[in-house]
Amino acid sequence: MNEQMRSALEAFIRREAGADRVSIAEAKLLSGGSIQENWFIQAEVAGGAFAPELKLVVRTDAPSGVSGSHCRAEEFALIKAAHAAGVTVPEPLWLCRDASLIGKQFFVMRFVGGVAASHVVVRDAKLGGDRRALLERLGAELGRIHSIRPPRDDLAFLPSPGSSPALQNIARLRRFLDAHRSPQPALEWGLRWLEVNAPERGEVALCHRDFRTGNYMVDESGLTAILDWEFAGWGDPLEDVGWFCARCWRFGQPGEAGGIGAREDFYRGYAKATGRRLEDENIHYWEVMAHLNWAAIALQQAERHLSGEETSLMLALTGHIVPELEYEILTMTEAN
Amino acid sequence: MRDEPTGEQLLETARNLLREEVLPALPPERKHAALMIANAMAIAMRQLKNGEEAARNECKALETLLSRTAQGEPAGGEALRGQLKSLNRDLASAIRTGRADEGSWREAAHRHLLDAARVKLMESNPKYLGGQG
Repeated sequence: MNEQMRSALEAFIRREAGADRVSIAEAKLLSGGSIQENWFIQAEVAGGAFAPELKLVVRTDAPSGVSGSHCRAEEFALIKAAHAAGVTVPEPLWLCRDASLIGKQFFVMRFVGGVAASHVVVRDAKLGGDRRALLERLGAELGRIHSIRPPRDDLAFLPSPGSSPALQNIARLRRFLDAHRSPQPALEWGLRWLEVNAPERGEVALCHRDFRTGNYMVDESGLTAILDWEFAGWGDPLEDVGWFCARCWRFGQPGEAGGIGAREDFYRGYAKATGRRLEDENIHYWEVMAHLNWAAIALQQAERHLSGEETSLMLALTGHIVPELEYEILTMTEAN
Repeated sequence: MRDEPTGEQLLETARNLLREEVLPALPPERKHAALMIANAMAIAMRQLKNGEEAARNECKALETLLSRTAQGEPAGGEALRGQLKSLNRDLASAIRTGRADEGSWREAAHRHLLDAARVKLMESNPKYLGGQG
């Protein structure tokens, strides 16, 4: 971190924390987050409610954004709403809308420890404490996210869910395919199945839209935080349940709930928090949707590489996940 | 005629060297990159080995499915890709407008798509099918 950014952040934290003096003892760029920068900061604080030490994460906008992701001010509002609803998130502290301070908008939240990496979480059973308890907890967390309902003045930037969240998703995916370089008949098959089998409009709630293994943090004792709020929006709550349980997010593991265990534990936690029992047959629809959504994202990632926007072997190989997704979609939708 | 080793053989030898001698010598934070490179080389090897036969077969199957008069043995390279793209565009649009909603054409289209997905999967990640039967 350069000297200019360091002193700007020290002044910002001093003001917001009502402190006499703030000095950043350590600052390092955290890995992960292809969309934005995350800085870990340890600051010595003299005076005010936050003395004597603060461990923080500063989250900034990054130069290259992904379409459909929220800006930092919007993400801050989402995390605040989740925090107020009792969801386990890092406590959101302060937002800086003034881009002149460090060259871009940012917000500050409390640092929370833990591991998120999916390949570690699914394999290391010591992480997350008891797996049944962890799944029940994750179910309850998702239920609390879904307790956030429209309309909300603080979330007025979220687009309206329209008359049918399912059909709206299908229309968005078709627009994407129409603009794509090559035809995708297997994905069209999946989208037609989703259209023919679309559910009646049910409840509308805040959907996280990336609630899966890899996007929550755990330590030895259990869950420490639900992460990655940049795609959240109004929708059918079952979309999140389908995304969490879909085979494409099990990382090759047998556990149907996120690759870490049984659905019933996850569903039980959800029912305890919401009073709503989840039925497998409703979830199947949204698991098909999950595969379609992930296939579209994978094509989009490969396109970033192909177009020269960002040359990357990681992005290029993401395109080669699409055949697996096609195979799953076709297998899941054999019966109409 | 090109002399051997062919591109495919070179890739295989290079990939083995990468996995057996370079990968173990790398620090932990660079291993993922080496594994990605080995994976990309394996996909390229399988594609080279299969050549254009799968694309020709897909073309013929699509012509049958869409009741097109066969245009003779499809040309190779870009012409073949172009022809496939156009046939797949027609299939995609037929599916979107409901032609595959029911009946025997639904079954035929589903069978065709599953075959095509399997062929791609055998190049992109053959282990996936191994695990699923």
